[in-house]
Amino acid sequence: MNFREKTAWLNVLAMVAAYCVYFGLLLSGHPAGREVFPMLWLFGSIAVAHAVTVIVGTVILSAQAPKSERARADERDRAIRRRGAATAYYVLLVGMMVVGVYLPFVESGVPLANMGLFAIVAAELVNSIVVLMSYRRGWHG
Amino acid sequence: MAKPPFTNDIRTLRFLAGEMTQGDLGDRVGVTRQTIAAIEQGKYSPSLEVAFRIARVFGKPLEAVFQWDDAGD
Repeated sequence: MNFREKTAWLNVLAMVAAYCVYFGLLLSGHPAGREVFPMLWLFGSIAVAHAVTVIVGTVILSAQAPKSERARADERDRAIRRRGAATAYYVLLVGMMVVGVYLPFVESGVPLANMGLFAIVAAELVNSIVVLMSYRRGWHG
Repeated sequence: MAKPPFTNDIRTLRFLAGEMTQGDLGDRVGVTRQTIAAIEQGKYSPSLEVAFRIARVFGKPLEAVFQWDDAGD
């Protein structure tokens, strides 16, 4: 497994762990699901923990990787990234249509913000999974 | 992932070029070792530019490196 695959795995695992905690707490009745300040605190803490995990993990992975693997992304890496972003775009589009067009009629405030956050997390997760699958199974660009 | 409708002889040409490594070829072409490995395994179709660069490294015409596979068409 090369350096870029490992960093994609790191992104997936860190995101799943961080946002399973976040949305798990919301589903179990944490006030972040209803009130602004608890939501900002919880989301802020989770986002910072997620970012620190990814940064530290990336530093460790790049220290372990041979220099040749840390070279600039080539045309295959860019094609795979484009595929991930293009697929995630549709997930984000549908998510934002639900959050911005339908949900304002049935929800408001913090739950609406959390739904938007869920759509972003789902899109980012799809992006990373498509990137991983493309590295593993191949992608012709 | 479906295989592309062409095959390549990069592995053989590397062998004939004094066991050139995938990394060496990648450096000379401007892609990573993993991309050369993916091209050899039919997991990635290179751009026309990279295909020509690979052929130039071996001093061969493009069709000596990549062959259209009628069975895969």
